[in-house]
Amino acid sequence: MSRNKLYALLSTACAAGYIWIIITFYQTNALGNDPTVCLIKSITGVPCPSCGSTRSVLSIFSGHFTEALYWNPLGLVIVLILLIAPFWIAFDLVTRNDSLLRFYNQAELILKKRWVAIPAIILILVNWIWNIMKGL
Amino acid sequence: MEAQKVDMFIMSNAKYFESYQINGIRERLIALDDSKWAMISSVQLKDPTVSLIVSILAGSLGIDRFLIGDTGLGIGKLLTCGGLGIWAIIDWFLIMGATREKNMQKIQQLLY
Repeated sequence: MSRNKLYALLSTACAAGYIWIIITFYQTNALGNDPTVCLIKSITGVPCPSCGSTRSVLSIFSGHFTEALYWNPLGLVIVLILLIAPFWIAFDLVTRNDSLLRFYNQAELILKKRWVAIPAIILILVNWIWNIMKGL
Repeated sequence: MEAQKVDMFIMSNAKYFESYQINGIRERLIALDDSKWAMISSVQLKDPTVSLIVSILAGSLGIDRFLIGDTGLGIGKLLTCGGLGIWAIIDWFLIMGATREKNMQKIQQLLY
């Protein structure tokens, strides 16, 4: 993937993420229930591995870390990406560098290795089973 | 390389590439040395139809992107329930083209 394409994609995703968080924050306050957009949950009624991550992110931003881990541990990863990515992109654009692209390519290579990929898949599956048992 | 060999390759592999790329591939193959034939004919290409089926069935989990080697985008889809469901639907239409682009990248490493 080229540098500009990756940066455009990431900034769009971060912007969409922040807008989504603000929308759900006000909607949850007003209605008391969460809106769902998850295709899997809408069709089958069974939560997907990342269901609950919006609630998790909202909990982290309001300071309830254990509650966030209960909703979905993947929320932590999302918060880290949301907080770091905009600054990294801005830094790269200002200094005309491509450090984020190099980091992204390196991370992709590492994740494709078997001894990283298999534990990651198992963790996601365990999280999925936990999500189903919690009945998110 | 012999034109007959090249045409055979093109005929059996045309579905893996975009139509506008095929002429270029054919010309490069004809100009290419015969010793590379074994590598060219044994290269593993991904079927766009398979990735479309995977995208429709498990697109929300990002498995279609993992399949064609876009690990980063796959994780992005996995973490966000398929990009809030929107990206998953958009990818039903993009994934076949993305697969063909990946195939092109793969064969380009051998052609140039």
